[in-house]
Amino acid sequence: MAATGGGKTYSFKVVLLGEGCVGKTSLVLRYCENKFNDKHITTLQASFLTKKLNITGRRVNLAIWDTAGQERFHALGPIYYRDSNGAVLVYDITDMDSFQKVKNWVKELRKMLGNDICLCIVGKILLLQTRFSGGAIVVVYSYAESVGAKHYHTSAKLNKGIEEMFLDLCKRMMETAQAEERLKGNGASQSASSRRGVQIVDDEPQATPTGGCCSSG
Amino acid sequence: MSRRTERRGIHVDQSDLLCKKGCGYYGNAAWQGLCSKCWREEYQQVRQKQIQDDWALAEKLQREEEAAYASIQGAQSQSHSAAATSQQPQAHASLTPFSKFEEKKTNEKTRKVTTVKKFFSPSSRTAAKKESQEGKTPSPSIGRDAGFDTDQVSKDFMDFLKNLQKPGRDIHKQCRAFLISLSNKKHDLGADELSECVQDFYQNLADRLIGHFKVSSESVEQVMDQVEKYIMTRLYKSVFCPETTDDEKKDLATQNRIRALHWVTIQMLCVSFDEEIPEVSENVVKAITDIIEMDSKRVPRDKLGCITRCSKHIFSAIRITKKEPASADDFLPALIYIVLKANPPRLQSNIQYITRFCIPSRLMTGEDGYYFTNLCCAAAFIEKLDAQSLNLSPEEFERYMSGQASSRFSSSNGDVTDSASGSDAMPSNPVLVQLNRNLDMLSDLSTRQEALNEAAAKLQADLLSWTENVKREVNDILERYPLQVPSRTVSAIDTNNIENNLPPPLTPEVFAG
Ligand SMILES: Nc1nc2c(ncn2[C@@H]2O[C@H](COP(=O)(O)OP(=O)(O)O)[C@@H](O)[C@H]2O)c(=O)[nH]1
Ligand SMILES: [Mg+2]
Ligand SMILES: [Zn+2]
Repeated sequence: MAATGGGKTYSFKVVLLGEGCVGKTSLVLRYCENKFNDKHITTLQASFLTKKLNITGRRVNLAIWDTAGQERFHALGPIYYRDSNGAVLVYDITDMDSFQKVKNWVKELRKMLGNDICLCIVGKILLLQTRFSGGAIVVVYSYAESVGAKHYHTSAKLNKGIEEMFLDLCKRMMETAQAEERLKGNGASQSASSRRGVQIVDDEPQATPTGGCCSSG
Repeated sequence: MSRRTERRGIHVDQSDLLCKKGCGYYGNAAWQGLCSKCWREEYQQVRQKQIQDDWALAEKLQREEEAAYASIQGAQSQSHSAAATSQQPQAHASLTPFSKFEEKKTNEKTRKVTTVKKFFSPSSRTAAKKESQEGKTPSPSIGRDAGFDTDQVSKDFMDFLKNLQKPGRDIHKQCRAFLISLSNKKHDLGADELSECVQDFYQNLADRLIGHFKVSSESVEQVMDQVEKYIMTRLYKSVFCPETTDDEKKDLATQNRIRALHWVTIQMLCVSFDEEIPEVSENVVKAITDIIEMDSKRVPRDKLGCITRCSKHIFSAIRITKKEPASADDFLPALIYIVLKANPPRLQSNIQYITRFCIPSRLMTGEDGYYFTNLCCAAAFIEKLDAQSLNLSPEEFERYMSGQASSRFSSSNGDVTDSASGSDAMPSNPVLVQLNRNLDMLSDLSTRQEALNEAAAKLQADLLSWTENVKREVNDILERYPLQVPSRTVSAIDTNNIENNLPPPLTPEVFAG
């Protein structure tokens, strides 16, 4: 078995939320497959896509979960968000209704996952339809700030803003994960031993650096 | 190592899955085809026996543990003494077949007792008592519980671990100890507590591999897959749909709910399937088969594999229909449709079992986890489904639910004319089309059988009357031509014949004179 120098690989789950037709699928296909409206795209599905990243020497596996956006599936949201590390909330900047939906999701996510989840609010830009007012942008930005989310403008068609958005999201998720690790103490075995009811049999003298493992029971 | 089980095109008859007592619950092969309730009633005393068998299993595990430990120790010291260059063949030599361990068992006996006690520290008194009882009789093989598969799985597991050397030895020890401790207390634990025990074990073992043995996360994943397979193959029977939960009640409720929703069409759910395309309907049938097959697997990962295969077939069907990659907006309604068509056996039990005993990372971030989550969504949606979910008016919905309105069978049944929506009066599902065709054939067959029966009855009557006629004619003839004439002829012939058999007539003899 290959032992490594301890560089832990992060695995993050990111849910993709947004009303129908705001461009969720286009966004994620651009990011993971670098394709947009490609007639010859061979990808079987765009529901679950992954991306491997290397951020400051740490490996990150990103799993992006598309969610069914239809109104009748709205109540199922919590089943999808369970255990997610991040959420990308997409709206169409020419359609403030779709932004209102984003606000509802943010409320739900914060209620369920608190500050454990990192949020990105993404306004999809349609270059030919930039009929939005500057005032709306101020509203959107200040809202994002107020809920601890980052706001981005992206275009899947032009491949603008997407890489940056996901990179930032990953960095914040790594920070959150590291903070959590620190909270639990130094290293994983400590957290494990604090879980109740399990005895790890250990009769080797040099075992368990942190100690306290066998005391339970 | 990721040797996936070949997909078999199994065909499950739902009625085969029901409890043999006919109570309507699902039966289970592990319960001799009965549901857990009937099984419980029928085999109260079996539980006591099972506890004893568990103890026997624990004993056997302990022996195997010792034997394997000794064997790896041996291999290790060998390879230590040998030159580092010949590491490979030495490692191979450690793959000793199990039979070789048998002879060691007796030697280990004394040591075993103390080690067993150590593992059972919380309840060593009862453990020791049981041991002395069981110790007299030869312990039955684990085969009684789960059979050949379990033994094969353990053997594969051992082979896998032996290649890992030191960590492998430790993993083995941890697994044995865990199984033994659990077999002792699993009868007293609720489902959630059992789940927590198993999850804690996974977590502790993974942490230990990373923290203590500095194993890379990728390798840990591989190891944990094997650990899950080994542990859950052994625990399946006692922790799947346990008595302590209402899983089975939920199964029955879901099963009935899905049956009551038989009228839901592709159009109502807005599914992007064009079942006119043969390739699409093929994928639909395969998806249905896969999701039904889930119930037959024991390891959580294998069950997830069925869900994943089912999902891939759904994606294919959507892709062929829409000519673009399927998004969640397409996938979820399609999965709901497949679940409604398949009515997968023990759906809730399977969902609960996977949730409780699967390696958590696979459910949280893995691809299998995504499809599993969608299956949970589908089950939740079906449970809560109302008129609004299908864009129907409450009245329409009620009429469908009460069976007054039908979306399917109106075309084949002339007297049902109050179909709520004429457009989807045609059966849209290929399975249903096939079903209807079969029903037509059956009714045709029964008409023909009736005709055949009639013809047979007529033939019988004809035969009877023919015999009568013949009799009557013969009598007539006999009356008209009296008996003496034929009888004379007969006797004349007979006389001749008899004469022929007589010794030749005496011939005159000339006496010499
Ligand atoms: N011009 C432009 N069109 C886009 C962009 N993103 C999505 N679209 C279009 O918007 C429509 C809906 O996009 P889709 O990704 O399917 O949205 P979803 O329903 O949220 O998954 C499609 O016709 C896309 O081609 C974009 O960044 N620029
Ligand atoms: Mg989409
Ligand atoms: Zn029964």
